[in-house]
Amino acid sequence: MKKFLARNGPGYVFLLPWFLGFFLLALGPILASLYLSFTRYDMVGDPRWIGFDNYQYMFERDRRFWKALEVTFTYVFLSVPARLIMALGVAMLLDKGLRTIGVYRAIFYLPSLLGASIAIAILWRQLFAADGVVNQILAKFGIEGAAWISNPDTSLYTLVVLAMWQFGSPMLIFLAGLRGIPRDLYEAAEIDGTSKRRQFFRITLPLLAPVIFFNLVLQTIEAFKTFSSAFIISGGTGAPADSLLFYTVYLFNEAFKFFRMGYASALAWVLLIIIGFFTAVSFFTSKYWVHYENERD
Amino acid sequence: MKTNVIEKAVEPDVLEEMRHSAEIAHELRLRQQQRSRRARIYKHIFLIGMSVMMLYPLFWLFASSLKPENEIFNTLSLWPSEFNWDNYTKGWEALPISFTVFYANSAIVTVLSVIGNLLSCSFAAYAFARLQFSGKNLFFALMMMTLMIPYHVVLIPQYVLFLNLGWVDTYLPLVVPRFLASEAFFIFLMVQFFRQIPRELDEAAMIDGCSPFKIYWAIILPLSLPAMGTAAIFSLIWVWEDFLAPLIYLNDIKSYTVPLALRLFLDQEGQSVYGQMFAMSMLSLVPVIIFFVAFQKLIVRGIATSGMK
Amino acid sequence: MAGLTLRNVEKSYGNVTVMSGLNLDIHDGEFLVLVGPSGCGKSTLLRMIAGLEEISDGTVAIENTIVNDLPASKRELSMVFQSYALYPHMSVRKNLAFGLQNLKMPKAEVDRRVDEAARVLQIGELMDRKPRQLSGGQKQRVAIGRAIVREPKLFLFDEPLSNLDAELRVQMRVELASLYSKLGTTMIYVTHDQVEAMTMATRIVVLRKGIIEQVGTPHELYTRPANLFVAGFIGSPKINMFSAKATKGAHGIHIAMPDFQDFEIDGLERTVDDVTVCIRPEAFRPNGGSISVNATIDLVEYLGSEILLHTRLPSGQTVLMQTGGKAAYAKGQSITVGFEPGDVHVFDHNGNRVPFVREEALA
Repeated sequence: MKKFLARNGPGYVFLLPWFLGFFLLALGPILASLYLSFTRYDMVGDPRWIGFDNYQYMFERDRRFWKALEVTFTYVFLSVPARLIMALGVAMLLDKGLRTIGVYRAIFYLPSLLGASIAIAILWRQLFAADGVVNQILAKFGIEGAAWISNPDTSLYTLVVLAMWQFGSPMLIFLAGLRGIPRDLYEAAEIDGTSKRRQFFRITLPLLAPVIFFNLVLQTIEAFKTFSSAFIISGGTGAPADSLLFYTVYLFNEAFKFFRMGYASALAWVLLIIIGFFTAVSFFTSKYWVHYENERD
Repeated sequence: MKTNVIEKAVEPDVLEEMRHSAEIAHELRLRQQQRSRRARIYKHIFLIGMSVMMLYPLFWLFASSLKPENEIFNTLSLWPSEFNWDNYTKGWEALPISFTVFYANSAIVTVLSVIGNLLSCSFAAYAFARLQFSGKNLFFALMMMTLMIPYHVVLIPQYVLFLNLGWVDTYLPLVVPRFLASEAFFIFLMVQFFRQIPRELDEAAMIDGCSPFKIYWAIILPLSLPAMGTAAIFSLIWVWEDFLAPLIYLNDIKSYTVPLALRLFLDQEGQSVYGQMFAMSMLSLVPVIIFFVAFQKLIVRGIATSGMK
Repeated sequence: MAGLTLRNVEKSYGNVTVMSGLNLDIHDGEFLVLVGPSGCGKSTLLRMIAGLEEISDGTVAIENTIVNDLPASKRELSMVFQSYALYPHMSVRKNLAFGLQNLKMPKAEVDRRVDEAARVLQIGELMDRKPRQLSGGQKQRVAIGRAIVREPKLFLFDEPLSNLDAELRVQMRVELASLYSKLGTTMIYVTHDQVEAMTMATRIVVLRKGIIEQVGTPHELYTRPANLFVAGFIGSPKINMFSAKATKGAHGIHIAMPDFQDFEIDGLERTVDDVTVCIRPEAFRPNGGSISVNATIDLVEYLGSEILLHTRLPSGQTVLMQTGGKAAYAKGQSITVGFEPGDVHVFDHNGNRVPFVREEALA
């Protein structure tokens, strides 16, 4: 025992805050919300066990749940590839032979830092309003814009554009990844007369695969978590016509507007499973398409 | 090499031919240089255009915050006809409570949270990077898994917990979790950095009579100032912009942070306050922009080493 | 100053045992060098003595006190690391004083010791610099300084010279040796360089794969290697090895090997075996030796004071010989090479030295 403490003691002491946080703020709540998801709980009385009712209602009768899934998945499938392609393209432009790269890098990254703020969400609402700047610019070219945000058909795209505007962080990671590709590979390809296109598909893409994979997983999770901008732009409700009913917004409203804590917990668990599923799938399939340069063992 | 060849070539016409081919090569190289210079110029034009697009929303926000109310939506010009700083002074007092209070609130929450994040995360990172204990790999894996868990999943039980502790409507639910290393991203960032510090330094310190805490404090921390700086800046910006947690835990307008206050503008939306709303929005971005400009290098390096965010 | 005793020391990582049943006595005041090829466990052994690595079984005792559970800082030893491990954020003075301050030593005493070390190592003018402003040799001195200010019972060196260039290495070797003679403290020194081992050690421990192959003075190791591994490892240029058949001779062992006429070594145990015969390059003499053969010179290396001749015997076997003298040799030249039976080392098929059976035959 004494020996055990001597060997492990310092480690556990340093990890103590994390232990507390992990059990009280992560593991505990996750299990608690699993329990709550099988109850009806309005925060006034005690939680009442109702078995699978929440899940049954969710899958069989709750049209807003399906709408929220549709909105969120559409957003993820549009915004993640758009943002990554943008990030990779710009990173490749910046990667070679520019001395002023620092300035561009800073300008392109800045929106990523600001993007989560309420101020930007407020700004976005105005940019894409019926009388907003976007339409004024379009009008200059003789195009009649739409009421982007108040039209359910287009509102989601304003958020996709907002996501694309924030391509800075995956861009920085791509830049670091591109730096890691040895220059002589390109020089060898150049001497062999390989075209730029082929160089991209045969050298850049395969060697960057781990970084792309990493960015993909990370950005997908981030996209599922999107909340503040959707909340502000939709006026806190998912309006218009639930076209901005992001899953997180729906969950928030169920929990903190209607105080259906049990049902909201069930929603939370479904979200956890979805994100877990996507992460797991990308990890298990990664070995088929990700090539790690320094593979060991 | 080439001159050797030329010297040895006695026959004049061979020499002539060589000179000729050298000229062609030179020509080719010049043309290639020209082409790559032209490509570079196109690239710059493209990147500058893109930079303008990226920054346009911010310029527009700034310009609108200075414009008279009637000009905001009627002209595309980024140059206000007159500089109307009134929006800032009026906006500052436009809500029932002055923005002085909101900024003070945000500052309190941010400073405490940053301190909490740095302390608790560097503790955990030091344990993971340097100390030996049973279950280390398991805990590390669990820590990495929490990176993936959306805040919404733990939100409700956390709320119930803090409600029962009587912490709702205080800053405790915003600050205390940050003293409990709840942001795995920072732990990961610091672990990555600590691992780059040669282990022999720890061992030398061990022989020099340092306890694990002393090694952390006298060796690891002073050598990790860049990583600490990166974590501090990210932490500061994220806490400053944090919206969801204050939205849930703060009900009393007197305790609102800046993002919550900005939202109040939306509730009383109407043409009359747009200028002030933009002014206050712009102002809320200023600390972030300042920190970004000042510490750009740290931020970029942080992302490159952690590979995240 | 202190002696050190290792008893049945074992080291394993998970299921992999890298060292087991290791016994070693290190005497008070000796300069012991642990030498062996990389991966032989010499650094692990040193780190176990230092307390930086746990021992899986057995005991480590300093001055008859078992220190197994004592942390490194309580073992009253100093260590010089391969990478020097100077604290990058502290000045040289702070680097030297850091360990002493941790002992809560009075400031005057700290200053006295630091200044003394600076004087001995002639680093006085570097005291306010940071490690990154120092050259490799200067860093080395500071690292040694940090070790001596503690006035430890035991000095540990982990390949301290391997990051220096060849010239500095020779210089530091001399300085370390003179430091040792000045302090007289027990020193344990790890290296993979047998030249370092031979020049500095009072005793050498040759390790291979976690096993001690031989312990002895440099002279013992050179003149009587206990086995084929030590014979091959110690000595530069490398010893020549020949396969041979051993049979019983009249007064010792009878050796038959290709190229040479049979010969007998008096006093060696009379085994019948496939043996390996080893002959040091300097034991071969051009145009001399009682056992000789004609060879062709493949390569001549002039080293100034001596000459290395790479020669080829009729069977194709190569022989390296080291010779002084001013004679001129040329590639392709034919030469007679020979040796005396008394200069030969014989190892049995397990690689162990065939022992003398009569002591008088030693001379």
